[in-house]
Amino acid sequence: MEIDKKKCVGCGNCYVICTMGAIYLDEDGKSVVNQDECVECSTCYRVLRNERYMPWFVRAVRKVLSTFRLGYLADVDVCPTGALTPPELTWPRSLRATFSDPTTIHPGTGIGGRGTEEIKSNDVTGRIRKGEAGVVVEMGRPGIGAYFRDIEKVTMTLAPLRPFFEPQNPVTQLMEDQKTGKMKEEILDEKVLSAIVEMKIPLERIPAILQAIEEVQKEIGTVISLGVSSRCRPDGTIPHEEWVSEAGYRLSPNGKTNIGLGRPLFHED
Amino acid sequence: MTNTLHRRGTRDNLKNDYVIFCTPAKGVNSEGSASKIQEFIRICLKYNPLNMGDGQQGNILQDDINLESFIANQKDGEGAAAVFTDLDTLQKVIEDLIQADLRISINISGLLDEVQRCCHRVGLERHSVEHSLGIWGAKDLLPEREILEVNTLCGHGLVSFNLIRKMVEYVRIRRLTAQEAARIMAKCCECGAFNPVRAEQLLEKMVKKE
Repeated sequence: MEIDKKKCVGCGNCYVICTMGAIYLDEDGKSVVNQDECVECSTCYRVLRNERYMPWFVRAVRKVLSTFRLGYLADVDVCPTGALTPPELTWPRSLRATFSDPTTIHPGTGIGGRGTEEIKSNDVTGRIRKGEAGVVVEMGRPGIGAYFRDIEKVTMTLAPLRPFFEPQNPVTQLMEDQKTGKMKEEILDEKVLSAIVEMKIPLERIPAILQAIEEVQKEIGTVISLGVSSRCRPDGTIPHEEWVSEAGYRLSPNGKTNIGLGRPLFHED
Repeated sequence: MTNTLHRRGTRDNLKNDYVIFCTPAKGVNSEGSASKIQEFIRICLKYNPLNMGDGQQGNILQDDINLESFIANQKDGEGAAAVFTDLDTLQKVIEDLIQADLRISINISGLLDEVQRCCHRVGLERHSVEHSLGIWGAKDLLPEREILEVNTLCGHGLVSFNLIRKMVEYVRIRRLTAQEAARIMAKCCECGAFNPVRAEQLLEKMVKKE
């Protein structure tokens, strides 16, 4: 995102709304975007209504108010002068928007958001089958963001354990080599709000994968939200529960349930 | 995406937080799914969801969203989500969805045992389940628990920590009510998974705590 300094009146709303805390007030009292930290999610541009005031008008009102010792405080969900300007993004910076702005569609997967369906369509795709577990390693969430150089540390740690990286996942598609987990060199300095490393493994490999993540988490400068899934048995019990518990980890009481209404239902041979 | 998987909270406050969503599968039943998503939306609207949306058009709490055009503009392959606070209503929604036989995948995020009981009551057995294993990595970068509980109500993380803090401050100085502040935060969440009632309760709790 860019901010037109000629229009900015320094209300600070974009600083508040910025998902990454990448906007700050400069010495001249106007907003500036730290381009390294901005993930191009465009939340500021979408949420802050452009009130279309002329900057000179806002400044004049402020001056008048200040003579009466009163302040000007814009509503928190407006940009009084429409100073936010979405830039034309080119590769590889454009990756920031495709991962961070849920209104964009990933060109590689044709899916919005972070570009995956994981178990949400498992009843019709059979993506995760009997004896398998799905693992989603969401880097940067909540609220910190992730550079691809950190994402690569995770993929390179996991790759030797031979997981099946989901081909319809944008992070997989950005790997130079799935056997090593190496990401494309030119994207390593790009930052995104979050990105999901998605894979499936045999259930019995859950402890090894969790152990590897336990190790690599100490080497990264961001957070990970971790998820594990599996196809339920006919009686509704969850196969991955025992493997996760056995490995010594606690499962959340809440989660996601695919209730099996999709058709045609996927049948395993 | 895993946008509703990692909602943080205690068992007690997660009791009032259920998100139901439909997901057409690319290459399987995505083609021609627009009319089915429209039907999903109509069924959910019948039971007054707290919030509803899709990733492309935004959510129904945003200023520029018109419900009629929100439904009319649904396209093949895009999903939609709706938020409810209680299982009885959720059960009615599921019953209507079974009746409608939309043939697209339906998922529910919420307390897993409660969702399973709800499925049993309508004669369904769950197909697949996903658990969160919580937050790993540089946790020292994170703010306090209540801020995280609000932030994770938007699975894409579009409600910033700073905005949540600002809303707590505005409610405390009575510049906004907790309800107004929750609605402002809800505008940030494009896919409509943000639960404004739970956010309101969390804001009130944080204001009291201060």
